[in-house]
Amino acid sequence: MATTTVVPGDAHDLDAVRARYENVDHAYHEQRDNRLLGILLFLVSDVILFTMFIFAYIYLRNSVPNWPPIVEGGHQLPRFDVNFAAFNSIVLFGSGATMHFAMESWKHLNRPAFFRWLIATIVLGIGFLAGQAYEYSSLAISWAGSTMGATFFTLTGMHGFHVFAGVVFLCILGFQARAGVYTESKYFGLTAGTLYWHFVDVIWVALFFLFYLW
Amino acid sequence: MAASAGTFAHDVEDHIHPEPEGFIRKYIFSIDHKVIAFQYFITGMVFFAIAGLLAELIRAQLLKPEGAIMSNAAYNGVYSLHGTAMVWMVIIPLVTGALGNFIMPLQIGARDVAFPWLNMVSFWIFPVAGAILFASFLVGAPDAGWTEYPPISLQGPPGTTLWCVAIFLIGISSTLTGLNFMVTVAKMRAPGMTWTRMPLFTWATFATALINMVATVALSGALLALFLERVYGVPFYDPARGGSPILWQHMFWFYSHPAVYIMILPAFGVISEVLPVFARKPIFGYRLIAFSSMAIAILGFAVWAHHMFTSGMPPWLQLPFMVMTFLIGIPTGVKIFSWLATLWGGRLHFSTAMLYAMGFLVTFSFGGITGIFLAAVPADLHEHGTYFVVAHFHYVIGGGSVMGFLAAVFFWFPKATGRLLDERMGKIGFWLFFIGLNGTFFPMHFLGLFGMPRRYATYVEFAKTLPHGVAQFWNVFESIMSLGMVAATALLFFNVVWSLKWGKPSGMNPWGARTLEWTISSPPPYYNFKKIPTVLGLPYNFDQPMPYRNLDNEQDPIPVPTTLAPPRTPVPA
Repeated sequence: MATTTVVPGDAHDLDAVRARYENVDHAYHEQRDNRLLGILLFLVSDVILFTMFIFAYIYLRNSVPNWPPIVEGGHQLPRFDVNFAAFNSIVLFGSGATMHFAMESWKHLNRPAFFRWLIATIVLGIGFLAGQAYEYSSLAISWAGSTMGATFFTLTGMHGFHVFAGVVFLCILGFQARAGVYTESKYFGLTAGTLYWHFVDVIWVALFFLFYLW
Repeated sequence: MAASAGTFAHDVEDHIHPEPEGFIRKYIFSIDHKVIAFQYFITGMVFFAIAGLLAELIRAQLLKPEGAIMSNAAYNGVYSLHGTAMVWMVIIPLVTGALGNFIMPLQIGARDVAFPWLNMVSFWIFPVAGAILFASFLVGAPDAGWTEYPPISLQGPPGTTLWCVAIFLIGISSTLTGLNFMVTVAKMRAPGMTWTRMPLFTWATFATALINMVATVALSGALLALFLERVYGVPFYDPARGGSPILWQHMFWFYSHPAVYIMILPAFGVISEVLPVFARKPIFGYRLIAFSSMAIAILGFAVWAHHMFTSGMPPWLQLPFMVMTFLIGIPTGVKIFSWLATLWGGRLHFSTAMLYAMGFLVTFSFGGITGIFLAAVPADLHEHGTYFVVAHFHYVIGGGSVMGFLAAVFFWFPKATGRLLDERMGKIGFWLFFIGLNGTFFPMHFLGLFGMPRRYATYVEFAKTLPHGVAQFWNVFESIMSLGMVAATALLFFNVVWSLKWGKPSGMNPWGARTLEWTISSPPPYYNFKKIPTVLGLPYNFDQPMPYRNLDNEQDPIPVPTTLAPPRTPVPA
C-alpha cells in the first residue's frame, strides 16, 4: 500500500503504462466477450439446482431402512428397470457424440456434415424423450405416491424438460445456421448449444447412476 | 458498430450506444444500469415502508402480555410477512440491485453491466414478486415465519403457496443479477484495473454475486419441492408420508445462511469506501479486506447447520459446524480491525455517511459478537428460539446491512442526482435511527436470555416468571424506541424528495473521493465514460495524484473535498 517508488515497468512507470495501453480502448472492446462466461455460470447454477434435488434424494433414501421404500399395505416398491434405461442412456450419450461431430464439422467448414450431425442429434434427443415417456407410462409407481416416486419423477422430469429445451434450442440453431446467422469465425450460439447439450448429458450420468445402478 | 479491422486509429465513441428516446424505454423498461438502480431503490423503499409498518404492528401487539391489538393468527401472518419482505423484498434488492447496479459498473469504468437486457428482466421480476407476496394477505398470509418450516408450512393457509411463488421469482431475479455482476466484474473492468486494484465495494459486490448465483438456486430447489408438495401432494417434507422436515431445513439454510452474507457483504464494501474518504487516509489492509470478503463468501457455504442445533442433529455433526462458524469470525474480525486501523490517526470528518459508517462499526460488531454466542452449541441450546436470536439478527441486519445501506445513500446520492442530501436532516435522522435501533433491540438480549420465546403473539406465561412486570416494561420500552426508527425513515424519505429539488448542487466530486465514479459528472451521462479510463493503481492514496489516465474530465491531481469543513485540530505529524 502507498508505494511511491517508481520501478521501470511497474504500474507507477507512467510512460511504460501508456505505451502498453496505447489503443487500449480498441483492444478492450474487440476482445471482450461476456457470453461464454455467462453461459458457463448459467450452467453452474443449473448444476446446483440438480444437486439440491439429488441431495434430497440421497437424504430421503438414507432416512428409511429399506429402499425401495415400503409403502402402505406393507409391500416394497419395485426397483427401476436398468436394461431399458441403459438403452435409453446410450441414445442420449450418442446424441452427445453427434453434437460433438456437428461442432467439429462446423469448425472444419463442412456445412453439409454439420447439418447432418445436428439433425442426428435432434433425432436422438427426441428419441430419448420418447423412451422416457414410454418408461414413465410403464412404471408402477406414481409421482405423489412415495418419496421414491417424488424424487425420481421430479429429477428425471426436470432433466427431461432440459432435454426438451435443448431440442428446441438446437432446432433454432439449425434454422439460424441455415439463414446464415453464423460465420466461420463467429458462431457463439453453436458453442452455447453444444455446451448446454453436453451439460444435459452429464447430468444424466449422475441420474442414471443414482436411480438405476445404486 | 464494428470498427474496420486492422485500423489502429479507432474512434472510441463508436461504442457508445445512443440514449433511447421516449418515456417507456428511458424510464420504465430501461436497460441503463443507473435507471435500473433507481427502480430498485424506489421499489425497495416502498416495500421497506410496508415491512416497517408490519414491524410496528408487531411492536404494538407486544405492548401487553396478552396481546394488544390482534388475534394470534393475524400476528403469525404479520411477523412472517415482516421477515420475508425485509429479507427478500427490501435488503437484498436494495444492497445488490440498487447499490450494486449503480456503483459497481461506474467503479470499474464500464458503460453498463455485461447483460443489460437481463438486468432489466431481473428488475421487473422484483415488483411482481413483491406484489404476489403481499397479495397473500388477501387469501390468508403464511404463518410459519420467514423460514416456513414444514410441516407447519404444509398445513398453512393458501397464502403460503403464494409465498413460495413470490420467493421463487425473486430468487430467479437474484440468480440472474448474480450471474450478470460476476461476468461484469470478471470481464468489463477498465484496462489496467487488475483484481488487486479493484475498489473494495466492487470486491464485495463480486463476492455477493458469487453467493447470489450459487446459493439462490438451492433455495429455488427447496421452494419448488415445497410448492409441489403443497399443490400436488408430492412427498418431500411430510414425515407421515416418508418425507423429512429436516430436509427442508438443510435446503433452506444452505441458501439462507449465505443469504445473510448477501445482505452484509455489500455493506462491508460501502464501509470500506466511506471510511477512508472521511478519514482522508488510505484504507488499511486493502488485500486483507478484499480477500476476507471472498473468504466469508466461501466459508459461508459450510456453516448452514448452525441454525439447526436443536433440530436433532448428531453431536459429531454439530461440532464441525460450530467450528466453521467460529472461523467466519476471523475474516470478519480482520475487516473490523482494518477499519479501525483506517480511522486511527485519520482526520475524521463527521458527515452523515461517516456517522452511519461509524454507527455500523458499533452495532455490527455487537451483533457479530452475539453471533459467536449463538454459534456455540451449548449456548445455542439455551438461546435458540428466544428473543436473543431476534436481537442478534436485528443488530447485524438493521445495524449492519441497513446502516451500511444508509451510509451508501448519503455517500452516493450526490453522484446519482447531482445534489447533496441535507446534512442536518441526515444527522438528526442518524441519531434517531441509532438510538431507536439500540433501544429497540438491546433489551431483547436479556429478555431472550430470561427465556422470552420469539414468534409468540403473547407472553403471559413468560411475564409471570419475572417480578414487577419488568417483561412488559421492557416490551413497552422497545415499542416506544422503535418509533425512533420510524421517524428516521420518514425523515429520510422527506430528505430524499426535498433534496432532489432543493439540495445543494454537489459538483463532480463533493467528498474528494478517488474511485472512478467520482471522475465523471453528477449525475453520470447515459454512457458513463466517453473514453474508457486507464487505471494505474489503488484508489485510496489520498496524498498522491489520481491513479488514472485518459479521463473524460480534467481532474485536480489530488482532489480536495469541496463540501467538508477543515478539521478543527491539525493532526500531529
